[in-house]
Amino acid sequence: MEQPIQIEDEVQFLDPERLKISRNQFAELEAELPDGSVHAPVEPVRTFPLTQPDQYISLLDAHKNELGLVEDINQLKEADRTILADELEKCYFMPKITKIHDLAGRFGVTEWDAETEVGSVSFDLRSRNDITSLDRGRILIRDIDGNRYEIVNYHKLDPKSITLLETQI
Amino acid sequence: MHSGGFSRRDMHRMARSAGSRNNARRSDLEMTTLEEVPETLQGQLEDLLESEEEIRVAISTDLQFNGTYGTDWVLATEKRLLAFNQNGAPTPEVRNIALEAIDQIEIRELHGNNYMKVRTSEGAFEVARYSKRFAPKFAEATPEIEALIDKIKPEEAETSKRHRKYVDAGKNKTRCETCGRPIPRWSDVCPNCVEKGKLLVRLLRYAIPFWKVSVPALLIMLVIRLVGVYPPILSKTLIDDILVPATMAVTGGQPVDSGAFGQLLTIVLMMVGAHVFTAVFSAVRGYMMTWVGQRITLTLRNDAFQHMSVLSLDFYQQRETGNLMSRITQDVGRLRDFIAEGLQDIIGDSMALVYMCIIMFVINWQLALWVLIPIPLIILFSFYFGHKMHKVFHVLWRRYAGISTILASTIPGIRVVKAFTREKYEVDRFQEQTYQVFDGEMNAAKLWTLYQPIMTFLTYIGTVLIWLVGGRQILNGELTLGEITLFMTYMTQFLQPVRTLAQMNRRFLRAATSAERVFEILDTAPSVASRKDAIDLPNMRGQVEFRDVFFSYDSEKNAINGVSFTTKPGEMIGLVGHSGAGKSTLINLVTRFYDPSEGEILIDGHDSRDIELRSLRGQIGVVLQDPFLFEGTIADNIGYGKPEATRQEIIAAAKAANAHDFIVKFPDGYDTTVGERGARVSGGERQRISIARAILKNPRILILDEATSSVDTETESRIQEALGRLIQGRTVFAIAHRLSTLKHANRLVVLKEGTVDEIGTHEELIAKGGTYANLCEKQTELSKIRAW
Repeated sequence: MEQPIQIEDEVQFLDPERLKISRNQFAELEAELPDGSVHAPVEPVRTFPLTQPDQYISLLDAHKNELGLVEDINQLKEADRTILADELEKCYFMPKITKIHDLAGRFGVTEWDAETEVGSVSFDLRSRNDITSLDRGRILIRDIDGNRYEIVNYHKLDPKSITLLETQI
Repeated sequence: MHSGGFSRRDMHRMARSAGSRNNARRSDLEMTTLEEVPETLQGQLEDLLESEEEIRVAISTDLQFNGTYGTDWVLATEKRLLAFNQNGAPTPEVRNIALEAIDQIEIRELHGNNYMKVRTSEGAFEVARYSKRFAPKFAEATPEIEALIDKIKPEEAETSKRHRKYVDAGKNKTRCETCGRPIPRWSDVCPNCVEKGKLLVRLLRYAIPFWKVSVPALLIMLVIRLVGVYPPILSKTLIDDILVPATMAVTGGQPVDSGAFGQLLTIVLMMVGAHVFTAVFSAVRGYMMTWVGQRITLTLRNDAFQHMSVLSLDFYQQRETGNLMSRITQDVGRLRDFIAEGLQDIIGDSMALVYMCIIMFVINWQLALWVLIPIPLIILFSFYFGHKMHKVFHVLWRRYAGISTILASTIPGIRVVKAFTREKYEVDRFQEQTYQVFDGEMNAAKLWTLYQPIMTFLTYIGTVLIWLVGGRQILNGELTLGEITLFMTYMTQFLQPVRTLAQMNRRFLRAATSAERVFEILDTAPSVASRKDAIDLPNMRGQVEFRDVFFSYDSEKNAINGVSFTTKPGEMIGLVGHSGAGKSTLINLVTRFYDPSEGEILIDGHDSRDIELRSLRGQIGVVLQDPFLFEGTIADNIGYGKPEATRQEIIAAAKAANAHDFIVKFPDGYDTTVGERGARVSGGERQRISIARAILKNPRILILDEATSSVDTETESRIQEALGRLIQGRTVFAIAHRLSTLKHANRLVVLKEGTVDEIGTHEELIAKGGTYANLCEKQTELSKIRAW
């Protein structure tokens, strides 16, 4: 009788030792795969952008076909890791909010003035549904233009921010 | 940054309007995005630009390359593109690229931010990073820069790849075009920009036809309110003129006035009379105003739906069904409430307050002032508390909704829960939610149980004040016992109308927004309509000619990109192509759900726009992939397009569609109700009913849009057989992914990105060995697998 498939075998990660990532003259990501083939432009995609941002990175070619999966970017050689991490930072811009200065709402729209790790920002939401509460006080926000913001744990914000935020969640 | 001078928000608004201001100033030239460049950059620019060079495009970013918020600049002159990138350094790094060297400008759309990238033959440079907020601005500016490049390299302008897709800014209206503020998700109109006064006048127009009822109702209310303030005055008379003299007489050992009881009885009867009067006329007025309100609802609702049915498909495409539904159901109701009740409440409550104030001030103005003191306190408190309660109850409401969500997903999914033995997980999840509801309820109770005692206490302060001040006045002989009682009663009666009036603003705003939403429907003109001089075409032959047809749904990307071909009457055309190739769009143009943006569609030699819509659509039959049946019987649905059809015709149509046999097997036969959207009959049955519906209409042009893709093989062959009968002698457009379905087709039109790629018979196209041959080959392989 045949054995059932081992599902672990179905995923092959790219060998971090034999993967080369560089940037070409057109500022595109270029990847040399373990089989020796070279691809550019390569687009890295986080498969778990919210929960595992540095693991299971899918590399796509120009036609959005998957070239392979990187199990953990920290296994890569330092030079490769820097380039990939830099590109991922570009592709996923989601500032972390550290303080809420003001939050005013009218007709269901809310206008936020907040401090993030990368500077102060103001943005608008069209409804409460644009705020997603996850486990352990984590909050994701998507504003009217499609920008995204994150609050790592809202219980750890200052009391004023918490009071303002709790009117919305 | 946050505290000083302009806030970031102000700057965004200014940036938005600045662009248009500059455009206005340069209206003699081409319109370009030209923002005000800060002084610090101006200095640098003088060194970089030649003397005659002028800045034509200037746009700022809100992000820098190191991923922090901040402003970088991209400028373009007739000769070069300049990018200033600060990146935390004291002076920005400048990138100076000659326009001549630029091959292409690219926009990279990423998560939460975009990049603008310039590509030359030697390399590429990222020149700007910006958040999604600025995406529309950059989408607008990019073609402007490209136009400058085209001027320098005119020989490439036609062929270059510079013209590519831009952000779709117009489709989802998220911000108000007038004030730039966000539009809430539940509304399509900006609540800030609604012209309230005008709306009110327009709303009142709906009440005018019923003035014969509403004006008397208003008068009745004024009288009711006047009578309503009367019983306390009667009490006063009773106490001061009868009871107190009587008490004094008794304590003084004197006999009580013999007429006193008669007077007492008169007053008591007057009191009863006042209450009966109020009760009876309130009921009468209530009935009258309900009638007026319901008449307004009736008119408004029918007007709105009638107009909606005339509107073209693009109106529906841009709006969510739920949103439109709530306009007809909820918004109309809210308007009725406002016109019928709100306005009268304002008048009535104000009058009641005025009456009471006048009486109190006439009797004793000093005490009247004291009575008014606690009122604002009570109002403020109930507002503050109402606000808090609202928050707490909102949280609670969401937690209850959480319970419903869990139940709604677990109960229908119970088979999966059991199959994967996840009962415990689901129970835990449920328990966690119910504990949260418990906490929420207890939080609400903390507030709620406080509210009543505090409110009572505040009211009591008023009473105590009256006792204190009024009591002292009584001791001084300035006030009577009856008067103090009157003040007591009025104080309690004061609160209710004051509260109603205080909430009026909110009620008015909501009504104004609702009005705008309803009027938006009434004010929209259908984009596809019959012309005044449109002709009837009673006996169409069914020749359809496409002449250089272009069409776009969103004026961004053309869905149809220059299509020309002619069908002979009675010919069957198979439309083939990948999804998004424009097959369905072409059909939408034939049925005139949309009109072409350029070119024309001729039917029997007449421009389709010159033909009366009823006449045109009356001769077009449609069978869709997922046919829509209406709630009603099978017979109703078959006869939908021909209400005067006889029973015999309906049976004949069902027989022709191979539907008769299964219909008679239902216990209720043709009288079987199909349920909402036809849910009570299977997919293949629905399909055959819809074919019968099309057959009965006897159209000259027939459209089959994936008519057999969602049924099993045996049902398909029955439907195919029925379709074979249906297509005889008609012009047919058939869309199918399964090419075998198109075996009856006289000619095949292969579409690719909105253009005709190939056209010809099956054999011709196979012989040609192009796209169609390729598709055929792939499907033959697939069908082998299916057969096996």
